[in-house]
Amino acid sequence: MSAEPSNANRTQYRLGFWLLLAPIVLWLGLLIILPHIDMVLVSLRERIASRQYEFSFSNYTAFFTEPLYWNTFVRTAVMSILATVLTLIIAFPVSFYIAKVLTGRPKIALFILCLIPFWVSELVRTYGWMILLRETGLISGALQWLGLVDQPVEMLYNDVAIMVGLIYTSMLFMVVPLVTTLDSLDNSLIEAGYDLGGSSWHVMRSIVIPHAMPGIMSGCIVVFMLTLGNYLTPTLLGGKDSLWFTEQIYTQFITRFNWEQGAAFGILLLILSSLIVWLGLKITRQSFTRVMS
Amino acid sequence: MRSFRQSKYLTMVTAATAVFSVSAQAETLRLLTWGGYAPQDVVEQFEKETGIEVEITLSNNEDMISKLRATRGAGFDLAQPSQDRIVSAQADFDIYKPMDLSKIDADKIIPSMMAATRKNTEFEGEVYGVPHVWGTSGLIVNREAAGTVKDYTDLCDDSLSGSVSYRLKRPTLIGFAFALGEDPFAAYGDTEKYQAILDKVEEKLIACKSNVKAYWSGGDALLNLMRSGEVSAAMAWDAGGWKLNAENPDITFVAPTSGALGWIDTFVLPRKTKAEEAAYQWINFVMQPEIAARITESAGNFTAAKGSDEFVNDTLKAQFKASFPQADLDNINWYPPVPAGLEEMEGKVLDRVKASN
Amino acid sequence: MQEDLACTLLSKHFGEFAAVDEVSFSIPRGAFFSILGPSGCGKTTLLRMLAGFQQPDSGDILIKGSSVLHTPPNKRPVNMVFQHLALFPTMSVAQNIAYGLKRKGVPKREHATLIDDVLAKVQLPGYGDKRIDQLSGGQKQRVAIARCLVLNPAVLLLDEPLGALDLKLREQMKIELKRLQREFKTTFVYITHDQSEALVMSDHVAVMNKGRFEQVGTPQELYYQPKTAFVASFVGDSNQYAGTVKEQSGQLITIVTEHGVRLLSHGGQPMPLGSPVTLFIRPEVMQISTSRPEAEQDNCLQVTILRMLFDGARSQLQVETSEGAVLTVALPQTADYQALEPGRSVYVSWQASQCLCFPVATETQPEAVQ
Repeated sequence: MSAEPSNANRTQYRLGFWLLLAPIVLWLGLLIILPHIDMVLVSLRERIASRQYEFSFSNYTAFFTEPLYWNTFVRTAVMSILATVLTLIIAFPVSFYIAKVLTGRPKIALFILCLIPFWVSELVRTYGWMILLRETGLISGALQWLGLVDQPVEMLYNDVAIMVGLIYTSMLFMVVPLVTTLDSLDNSLIEAGYDLGGSSWHVMRSIVIPHAMPGIMSGCIVVFMLTLGNYLTPTLLGGKDSLWFTEQIYTQFITRFNWEQGAAFGILLLILSSLIVWLGLKITRQSFTRVMS
Repeated sequence: MRSFRQSKYLTMVTAATAVFSVSAQAETLRLLTWGGYAPQDVVEQFEKETGIEVEITLSNNEDMISKLRATRGAGFDLAQPSQDRIVSAQADFDIYKPMDLSKIDADKIIPSMMAATRKNTEFEGEVYGVPHVWGTSGLIVNREAAGTVKDYTDLCDDSLSGSVSYRLKRPTLIGFAFALGEDPFAAYGDTEKYQAILDKVEEKLIACKSNVKAYWSGGDALLNLMRSGEVSAAMAWDAGGWKLNAENPDITFVAPTSGALGWIDTFVLPRKTKAEEAAYQWINFVMQPEIAARITESAGNFTAAKGSDEFVNDTLKAQFKASFPQADLDNINWYPPVPAGLEEMEGKVLDRVKASN
Repeated sequence: MQEDLACTLLSKHFGEFAAVDEVSFSIPRGAFFSILGPSGCGKTTLLRMLAGFQQPDSGDILIKGSSVLHTPPNKRPVNMVFQHLALFPTMSVAQNIAYGLKRKGVPKREHATLIDDVLAKVQLPGYGDKRIDQLSGGQKQRVAIARCLVLNPAVLLLDEPLGALDLKLREQMKIELKRLQREFKTTFVYITHDQSEALVMSDHVAVMNKGRFEQVGTPQELYYQPKTAFVASFVGDSNQYAGTVKEQSGQLITIVTEHGVRLLSHGGQPMPLGSPVTLFIRPEVMQISTSRPEAEQDNCLQVTILRMLFDGARSQLQVETSEGAVLTVALPQTADYQALEPGRSVYVSWQASQCLCFPVATETQPEAVQ
């Protein structure tokens, strides 16, 4: 009566454990890990002649020796960081207002208002911006009608347009984690901050922001990664000088048929962006597990 | 109309799947093609006559090769790359299957084009392509604003600052090379010489960059830029120019003085095609003169089908005549097959142009 | 004696609802003042107005003689211990205490001494570096108080801070709070719905109901001389009966309860014959005896024991009169009463001066009953 049932139970428990784990293992293995291993392998060969490849690091050295690629990456990373910071600056007051000032219906309404743009595809949203910003677009027309300018103004095809598009696309991914963490902040902590003599600025800096830090960081990580990996927005809104690293990867894969170079770029993007996220966490002294929980 | 939205798929599963019908044996033809090459009414008629379902995926040259490369030639039963892009892709990636020309009704096809495509798509003794739609790329010009533009290099004229558009792709390099007095096609076999030409083109394109409003990538986007007047001259396909001409007589396609660039889109069989017979049936079906004429009207370009011109509407014929007087027609530079490796050289040039300030 | 805090005709309405209705009071310096009332009586609103988180509709708040109506919460010389303490979880104990010092502009070099001092006073020496989540409930309590007291506020507001503690700890903290208040000589305003907290700690207690103060007085006054039926019922335990006035001669009133039991009581005011009243008898004033008491008692009932409720020193007996009225009587744990058991007949007796009666519903005078 003693050993057998407990053994059977344990076997059952183990089986259940593995069954529950199976989907995530399969998903990770088949859709994430295997393709990446393949990417690494592809990135480590060089085309010698038709249908002939050789092991080589040349695709990686090309990234560091060809200033174009390196510059494009740095530019993309800097723009992404800037977009992340700007998104945070815009999203924080909005989130604070939603989480702490509003209650009941208006709160839900405003939150949904932030969500609505995401019910249409990114392509449509980007076209929306193009309609607004182009030389014959709405804003240019309105400015002329108001007499503020005497000829059409082109606001499209430059880095500012990219920035606007990226921030717009990223807002939701910043607002949601921020609202969640700010919601979890007990109002009495804010009141205590005032009660003990703090001004609004002090309460914000010493109480609200430290509390919201995990939300801020997870929002920033998501927005940074999305922005860095964005293809449509920079391609459509960007100008003739607007280089974006994913565009390079796309070009290598699709128009150059140079999978080897594209794979190397993909791996480098993964490593370098992870590095940037890691640095960000180090600088703000946040742990990844806390941010993601 | 040729081209357009890159990597946008429009899959049309058509009505033939009636519940009771022959769906058990119904064959499916998965066609990888360009926008306008398989108009709805033609597809419906084909399905009705043969009982074969047609699934259409819209694409472009690079995308077709990439898709077929990714699956090693599977996923589609018939594809339509340009003839100059077939041999190098086959050499590098082995994604096509030789054509059995005996199954093609050769008498429906203009013999000279058949012969040209045969020559250009021959690899290791086998023929891979049958010609379908042909056309050119040259200049779309708004005569009101940019009447001076006669050749590719005229796009760099100071008077057109900020109102010019072209693609950052290989046709632009080739077009500018011709306009600069070079013959890039003759240098295809000589890498060094080709590089010298490319260097010259690169210099010109970098100098020209301040004139460019935006490098276009999707055909629709370019047409919008021309329509709104934001761009007054661009390098693009003839069909797009004629389409705009129908809306605004000031805008039209102009064959450049150094020669329009002629292309022929073909039919090829992906290596792992699963409906070879259906593919041949489709080719023979669309080559019938009056079906071909319908495709011409939908795509805006003429086909290799013999005698189809008669069925094409007069507007298109008139536009074609206006853009291509006999001298210009003779002046067309037809793309020869691209040797493997050239595209990598071109890519680096395009990168540098994009990165320059 | 100078007043630290005074309110005059303070009101706050939420729509039609008067949360605080023309409340006036003043608290002498260094007093422990409690506001006792059931939930929803407006005591929290009152406290939040004192702290500055809510603006009164009318009336004035004076702290040390000057109005603070237009002073924002962070500038008011009051501090608050919140219901859930609101310690900053991202800071250590010392940082929590230093927060207010920094905002007050106390030079940094003095912080360490001040923090050590206040921690010593709340009996948490050396706890400065602990994280908040390392503290027990009682320790958090002390930190929350220390965090306020280090700032030497004119008034310390406490919003039911003991609510979350278990019973034993709550008893300890009552004494501790009282001790701290004495030691710091700060005026405490303590709100609670727990009458025991209010009675044990306070110098003065205000009983609040429906936005108004029913009575303000020392705990003893409230317990022994409640001025209203609400205070009598809310402060301390009572047997409570509805009845009508049969006879009145001076202070002595004869009342017949709804069960028909005839009782004598003292009444603070003249009451017309036949008017409805509520009668309060505290369990501990009743004497239990197995035989009819010899000494003359104003009230003496023969009752049957229903059940015994053993709770140590707070044990009680439930008894029933022959008319069916149930009484709860305190049962002293002495040898005299060990033989009692359910079903047994005993006598309970008390003096008229030991029970209280109040007219029901002062607005509708009982003419109709006559």
